[in-house]
Amino acid sequence: MFSQLSSKILLAGLLIPLAAWANDKSPPDAAHSDKDAGLEAQLDDARHRLEEAAHEVAVLSSQLGGPLVERFSTFDGAFGRAIIGVQLDPSSGKDGARVVSVSPGGPAAEAGIRAGDVIVAVNGTTVTGDDATRQVVKVIHDIKPDSKVSVRVKRDGKTQDFTVVARPGPGIMAFGDDLPTLPEMTQIAPARPFFMIQGPLSNMELATLTPQLGKYFGTDKGVLVVRAPPDSALKLEDGDVILAIDGREPTSGSHATRILGSYQPGEKISLKIVRQRKTIDLETTVPEGMPGHNRGFVVPGAGHDLPPPMPGKVIIRHHEDQTI
Amino acid sequence: MHIYPEQQQGFVERQRVEQHHNIVRQLRSLPQEAHQPYDWTEFRRRCRAKADTESRRGVSSRRYAAIAAAIVLAAVAIAAWVRLAGPGAPALTQSTSGPEFETQPLVFATADSRADAAERWLASLPSEPPVVRVGTRAAVAGLEDRLAQMDDLLSAARVEGTQPARLAALEQQRARLVNSLVQVRFAETLVAESR
Repeated sequence: MFSQLSSKILLAGLLIPLAAWANDKSPPDAAHSDKDAGLEAQLDDARHRLEEAAHEVAVLSSQLGGPLVERFSTFDGAFGRAIIGVQLDPSSGKDGARVVSVSPGGPAAEAGIRAGDVIVAVNGTTVTGDDATRQVVKVIHDIKPDSKVSVRVKRDGKTQDFTVVARPGPGIMAFGDDLPTLPEMTQIAPARPFFMIQGPLSNMELATLTPQLGKYFGTDKGVLVVRAPPDSALKLEDGDVILAIDGREPTSGSHATRILGSYQPGEKISLKIVRQRKTIDLETTVPEGMPGHNRGFVVPGAGHDLPPPMPGKVIIRHHEDQTI
Repeated sequence: MHIYPEQQQGFVERQRVEQHHNIVRQLRSLPQEAHQPYDWTEFRRRCRAKADTESRRGVSSRRYAAIAAAIVLAAVAIAAWVRLAGPGAPALTQSTSGPEFETQPLVFATADSRADAAERWLASLPSEPPVVRVGTRAAVAGLEDRLAQMDDLLSAARVEGTQPARLAALEQQRARLVNSLVQVRFAETLVAESR
């Protein structure tokens, strides 16, 4: 499966040399700029396909890990729990819980926690003694999504404080024969599924505003819309700066993506933006095909079907729990 | 003389290792320019150096060629990565530390060291490219969240004394996710750099 994906990525890459070759063969006349424009379009197209292939790798990889996570989540007692993204050493010693590794791009990494740190306090509670790691695990277990967690660590003999913003855990598609029954699952808070991209918003491009850009656009915070979604989705235009999405202030392109991914298609959404140096409010509707709201993990049109289910029941976790 | 199956297997293994060593020796003996394809950092440095000395027209042509070469290199690298990532496959890695081009000797790495290298590479990247495409960023975000979820689960599972086989399965899936995250972020970086 992944070899096929690699082939797609390879194919996307191979189109570019053709563009280069064609460009070198072109005569040096006025039509040159037209050819450049054509090649730019081809390049853009190749980039697009490379991104799509990469996205497909991401979705399928997450899908492959789903059943295991589902089983462990079941075993552990909760779905859709908050995530922090640290691996702790169960035999850390008495000084605290030693961080073995930090998930790349996870909340702990984002906050600045590193492998080798020793967690000595969480939310003001000191965690030391033989079961320090267990104490930290318990605190993490009880954290609510989107809450702020204060973490004190020892690093190189010095104490440092960090604030970790817990994220809601991704939802899961599971295949298996030893999963809990539906009535039990329906009592659990809905989990957010893996981000999926379809529709106009997938092509939107965003940039985190730097101070220099901020001066130009007349604001010192927000996320710049470099390329607005087509079809006037969300009523955004190129050059808008998004200050807030329903009151939540995006601090980066990634953050804005995550916020947008938390909405359902058809939901109303309020945007505060800066357009031509004026702050305005937009009332708009989330279009179909938003990230995060597609059923399951299948990428439409990608030529892939769901893997054959294992014997037993198949559960697709989505905004509303369903059994098929 | 009778050769036992264990002896036969050992002989085959030694032969394989010796073959690999031969390849390494041959690669090391090649002149500098014929070494493994240089990395992306060096590629960009060379592109910029050329851009300084050539006309705009020339740059335009070469820009496509440069991007093309880079994307092909990336595609080949990703394809190779995916193939080598299969279970039981020997890990053949080339480390590229530092901004300057430096051909490192090819090494046979364990799965652990390969995962470490992948995580070091991820840690060396900025949290996001200057311009993010929502579709790709969402894919990255999804993988990052899944990884964080795996790590939290691993912590809990270790504290609870979960069966080693189950732990190993989780760790294997985690390695797979890291692998995929590397591929996706590499593609994202490549696209961002080619703009």
